[in-house]
Amino acid sequence: MSFDVSLIIDSLPKMLRGLGLTLQLLFISSFIGLALAVVILLMRISGRWFLSAPAAVYIYVFRGTPILVQIFVIYYGLPQFELIRESIFWPILREPFGCCVVALSLNSGAYVSEILRGGVLGVEKGVLEAASAVGLSKRQRFIYITTPIAVRLAIPAYSNDTISMLKATALASTVTLLEVTGVARTIVAETFAPYEIFIAAAIIYVTLASMFQKGFGLFEKRMSRYVKDA
Amino acid sequence: MSEDGQQPIIVLEDVCKYFGDFQALKNINFQVQKGERIVVCGPSGSGKSTMIRCINRLEEHDSGKIIVNGHELTNDVKDIDAVRREVGMVFQSFNLFPHLKVIDNLMLAPKLVRKTSKAEARESAMRLLERVYIPDQADKYPSQLSGGQQQRVAIARALCMNPEVMLFDEPTSALDPEMISEVLDVMVELAEEGMTMVCVTHEMGFARSVANNIAFMDRGEIVETNPPNEFFNNPRNERTKLFLSQILSH
Amino acid sequence: MSELSGWWDDYFWGAMVVLRVFVVALVMSVVFGLIGSAMKLSKSRIAQRLASAYTVVFRGTPELLVLLIIYFGAAVTLTSIVQIADPNVKFVDIPPFWAGAFAIALIVGSYMTETFRGAFLGVDPGQLEAARALGISNFKTFIYVRIPQMWRLALPSFGNHMLSLMKDTALISVVGLEEIVFVAEMATSVTVKPFTMYIIVALIYLAITTVITLSVMALEKYANRHLQGSR
Ligand SMILES: Nc1ncnc2c1ncn2[C@@H]1O[C@H](COP(=O)(O)OP(=O)(O)OP(=O)(O)O)[C@@H](O)[C@H]1O
Ligand SMILES: [Mg+2]
Repeated sequence: MSFDVSLIIDSLPKMLRGLGLTLQLLFISSFIGLALAVVILLMRISGRWFLSAPAAVYIYVFRGTPILVQIFVIYYGLPQFELIRESIFWPILREPFGCCVVALSLNSGAYVSEILRGGVLGVEKGVLEAASAVGLSKRQRFIYITTPIAVRLAIPAYSNDTISMLKATALASTVTLLEVTGVARTIVAETFAPYEIFIAAAIIYVTLASMFQKGFGLFEKRMSRYVKDA
Repeated sequence: MSEDGQQPIIVLEDVCKYFGDFQALKNINFQVQKGERIVVCGPSGSGKSTMIRCINRLEEHDSGKIIVNGHELTNDVKDIDAVRREVGMVFQSFNLFPHLKVIDNLMLAPKLVRKTSKAEARESAMRLLERVYIPDQADKYPSQLSGGQQQRVAIARALCMNPEVMLFDEPTSALDPEMISEVLDVMVELAEEGMTMVCVTHEMGFARSVANNIAFMDRGEIVETNPPNEFFNNPRNERTKLFLSQILSH
Repeated sequence: MSELSGWWDDYFWGAMVVLRVFVVALVMSVVFGLIGSAMKLSKSRIAQRLASAYTVVFRGTPELLVLLIIYFGAAVTLTSIVQIADPNVKFVDIPPFWAGAFAIALIVGSYMTETFRGAFLGVDPGQLEAARALGISNFKTFIYVRIPQMWRLALPSFGNHMLSLMKDTALISVVGLEEIVFVAEMATSVTVKPFTMYIIVALIYLAITTVITLSVMALEKYANRHLQGSR
């Protein structure tokens, strides 16, 4: 056995073609997930049980099960039902891409809503009392005080979650999608050089992850200009 | 109590407040006339903060009546908002909005609650910052100021809404000694301008020179209310005497 | 749910496999985490660098990819080693159980590294000095003062790592471990009821993660018992 560095260099361009799909999965799911997370968060902190209970159950289920299993339930499982096959969602759920986006979005919605809730709970009570004392309504307090402070508090955890999402996109390869990991697996099947090819793929992911981390770090720094030791 | 037949601006009648089983306020009766300056003191845990926070409904009382400037405090949101607009509050821990610059801390409520124009809000905010002697800090963030400066911003922020009454909850007890006087000076000036004030504080010098009346609280009750001279020189209640001997001994 | 009859025992044994991988990987990941944090806290530059590289790489690479590298990499390596002795061997099979447990442990160990390091640094140095001042030996201080506090600090994120570890076990079906996802696949091909079969898998995982969450909560309560009543 030998370690063939030129194989890494040869395969990188091929895998970079899978990168487009990886990023699509990541960005689309993160976007939908974030929107979902805000809705779930509002339900959770609404103080009404018929809103907060379903939100809590949703979070519990999606955080308590592996994403791979969620993808399989959606991709392999849902077509079991006639109802699904005849619904307007079928064009999405028929495609592996659609299924992965659905699974990843639902997942990210659950995690991110908890992250945002952490931010909301991190806002000092006294600051909110001061806002009440100068006459801000509940709504105004949420928009002008809670939201900006909570967003800053949530950035580090959100950054980590984005990297988790990036890694989760690799699961799409299990349902035939040719994103970076999928491409790598097909090349390995041809060349049977797992080290070189998979390490090349890992380099792509680690580079991306570091870039995201840097980006969020800068964003946090910007948002933290009002904090003393930032 | 009323000297000129006016309605008192704050009235508490038989107010009780519980935290679970613990009774924090026991049948509080308390009045403040317009222009009056009342200092509230008493040992830790006696209910001073709780009482003052009930006045702008940061805490809800369980029984009795609280009337502020003619509005009775109930669960009616309209009345609560009306009361909060007329009552300014200053906290021990400043509680400035950390993400807003000093000037924006002052402008937020006028803009949102009173719908003042931006230019107007800025102008009156600057005027207030001058009044608390820190106009040059307008564009800094709260974390960049000293404690004394932050507390003066907090006073200015409360004044921005042109309140009828100012409530202070131990405004100087989180401050380093050298900053206490800069905050007290501002408060004395406010008093001289005729602001109605209810002030929880252990600054007895301030109480002596500014207060019309000093209320002493212990274990959820107002034990004794008297003008400063009387209060310091001739305390009636044993608990007051004990408290004074402790606080004046150092 | 009649289509499930006949599959219950397969799910049960599959779940046992999941639990076994979990325990093995958990032990390994704690070892990796302890080694990693010790290296990060050591004075040696090289050790620090190595540990940093370890965490950056394994926190940035998809779990599935790590698994594939370990599984197929080990297979290729072992094959070529065996071929030196016996050139007729075409391919050496690697047990997915061990490849999987090892891969997951490497990943989770990289997270544990940070957790342990944080917990180690989080213990108030004043207490350690107090212990020294009382004449308690360094070793005893470590055992009786430092460790109990460390584990209190580490527990919440340790719990989270256990949950991700548990969920990562599902991946090992990809390299052929006969756990519950694998069972669902088999059952689907016979019954053609994929939804039923995969939902069972999800429910089993949910049950296990619930038990883990509740245990960690109980442990946290126990670890923080001396803080009760203070505000
Ligand atoms: N949110 C709360 N929940 C339960 N108990 C409370 C709460 N707030 C106050 N208390 C209790 O009510 C009593 C009165 O508290 P309060 O804060 O009014 O005292 P205080 O006179 O302001 O004391 P200090 O000088 O320490 O500020 C205390 O015994 C306190 O423990
Ligand atoms: Mg108090």
